[in-house]
Amino acid sequence: MLDVLLSQVAAGLVLGGLYVMIAIGLSIIFGLLGIVNFAHGNFFALGAYFALTLVQNFGWPAVILAPVLVGIVGMVAERLLIRQLYDKEPLISLIVTFALALMIEALLRLIYGGIGQPFSQPPMFTGIYLWGPVLITKYRLAVFIFTVIVLIGLWALMQFTPFGRILRAGSRDPEMVGLLGIRLPRVLTAVFGLGCALAGVAGVLAAPLWTVTPSMSTNAIMPAFVVVTIGGLGSFAGAVIAGLMVGVVTALTIQFQPDAANAMMYVFMAVILLLRPRGLLGERWERFE
Amino acid sequence: MLVRRPAKLVTRRQALLGAATFGAVGQLGMPYIANAAAAEPIKIGLLLAKTGDIAAQAEYLANGSYLALEEHGNTIMGRPAELVWYDEPSPQGSQQNMQKLVQEAKVCAVLGGSLSSNALAEQATAAQLKIPFVCNNAAATAITGANCNRYTFRLNTPVAVQATMFAPYIMGYGKKWYFLTAAFAFGQDIAKSFKELLTRAGGTIVGDDSVPLNTPDYSSFILKIRQAKPDMILGGVPAGDLSTFLKQWNEMGMKGKIPICEIAIGDTDIWSVGPDAATGLYTSLWWYQNPNNPPDEQKFAAQYLKKYNKPAADKAWMGWVAAKSLFESIDAAKSTEPDAIIKAMEDWKGGTAESPYSWRKGDHQMLLKNLVVEVKPKITDKWDYFDVKGMVPKDAADLDKVFGAPTDAGCHMT
Repeated sequence: MLDVLLSQVAAGLVLGGLYVMIAIGLSIIFGLLGIVNFAHGNFFALGAYFALTLVQNFGWPAVILAPVLVGIVGMVAERLLIRQLYDKEPLISLIVTFALALMIEALLRLIYGGIGQPFSQPPMFTGIYLWGPVLITKYRLAVFIFTVIVLIGLWALMQFTPFGRILRAGSRDPEMVGLLGIRLPRVLTAVFGLGCALAGVAGVLAAPLWTVTPSMSTNAIMPAFVVVTIGGLGSFAGAVIAGLMVGVVTALTIQFQPDAANAMMYVFMAVILLLRPRGLLGERWERFE
Repeated sequence: MLVRRPAKLVTRRQALLGAATFGAVGQLGMPYIANAAAAEPIKIGLLLAKTGDIAAQAEYLANGSYLALEEHGNTIMGRPAELVWYDEPSPQGSQQNMQKLVQEAKVCAVLGGSLSSNALAEQATAAQLKIPFVCNNAAATAITGANCNRYTFRLNTPVAVQATMFAPYIMGYGKKWYFLTAAFAFGQDIAKSFKELLTRAGGTIVGDDSVPLNTPDYSSFILKIRQAKPDMILGGVPAGDLSTFLKQWNEMGMKGKIPICEIAIGDTDIWSVGPDAATGLYTSLWWYQNPNNPPDEQKFAAQYLKKYNKPAADKAWMGWVAAKSLFESIDAAKSTEPDAIIKAMEDWKGGTAESPYSWRKGDHQMLLKNLVVEVKPKITDKWDYFDVKGMVPKDAADLDKVFGAPTDAGCHMT
């Protein structure tokens, strides 16, 4: 039985890594901008579709441009739409980003059609590793390692660069940052673009595993919200821990009660919120109280 | 005392003249008025999903329906005809949209039912509103079984019948089966039907997982299957979920190691998987490359390719046949009254002598042959995935026997 559990925990950690990658952009956007971005899953889908188009036309190396393109689309959306929402009720941002989500899905359906698009992993990542009872595919291991690298890079960006310091200060007291002569609107555009680009990275990584359809965002957005809520809204470390926990909980539920696999993450969220209403590492933020 | 009589607004002479003039103009105008009434379009409702995983199949069902109307000259009973397409967001939302189609858009019949869960709800509303409902996709047995009603016609072969048709092709794989079925009406129906078959054959269930809809990651399920070492996987996951499962099955190095069998695959499901990962043995109602397709179906396939620049999927054919039978039945009935349409549908015949199809009176189930198809060992064309292994039943005279009596599935239509 221990073999089985080990094997499922390993699968859960890899799945959790992907959930972290999806959720981290959502967490950053909420933490720094105060926007609940309902279209986050659609930026994820956009990443998958950009990857598909780039690989078909220019080969695998071009896939690196997919998150960049998603980031650019995100920045355009911020300038045209999201910027109007910063001083509005949170409910307005939910409605507007929901409309944005529907629009992106409709556009994808219009351009690519409703049918799923075939997309496989790069040939160099085909195959499996078998360590005792633990089976892991080369591609999933690569996804996990890449996710860890991206998260470390992101943490370093936030902690050790002037841009990161502005972001952290701006998220707590935007007025003070403005008074210091920093053009916060530009920074906010960059933050939204960064959050969307991270969703794009997750979309690129998920494309060879999931079915690439315009509605693939649905399968991404709910786990992302659950992970962010469990981790604590806006908490970087919280999102990482919560993502891995949700992955493991899902995998173990599949082992013992498969039909409850999707529902269990919500039960888990409810339990965590009962014990810690702000989530695992959530803090009190004056702006949102 | 002089009493002034009120001045007449219209004299008798003027009134007569006016009446005559009105009559004359009326006579002149009547043909136009009559023509205008005749020209009022006949509206047919289309109730198919526009979002979600099933939307890919629904797109083909809708395309097939529109093509059938075009072939019919965009007219029914000599009057202009149009399709009014509403979404199928959920069972409850579908019921509301069916009501809107009937009460606001004034449709005389509805085509739709892309998912079993939606179709089961829609057929109840159809009976309540007394409107003919032609279910063109859902396969749950109960639609023309325990839940049957005289307003509902269903094209897809019920799960239990497909199981019987499929059995001779899959029993050869072995008797240790792993069930991987979706946690909703369609999957539960598959699990029930095939478990009965397997039990009768003396087989063993080595695993039985009920999978939530829209599961994004199957790695944990695949690990369980791997540990159970079955002879075969009996699948019952629909649409995009099947595509995701097959992709991850291949990604985890399992393709070719354990056979996968499932009923009622949609061509769009396998096209989404890609040539590297596609595998399995399936039942299907139609395949555009089937050499036995009769001339009118070959013509349909060619027209579809010309119009949409891609081959017709089985769902396109299903949308086409369901719509065609409805349009031809309304023509034959010369009426849009529900009872007349139902009577004409019951009398409608399609296909050829070798491969006929018709709606059975006792439960309004379409009787037709099914295909057993297998994914080609090597796929060289991005659309051409299947080899046809057989048509079931071989002899059209056996259709009644294979489908069983309506009461076998619990239908007692009044």
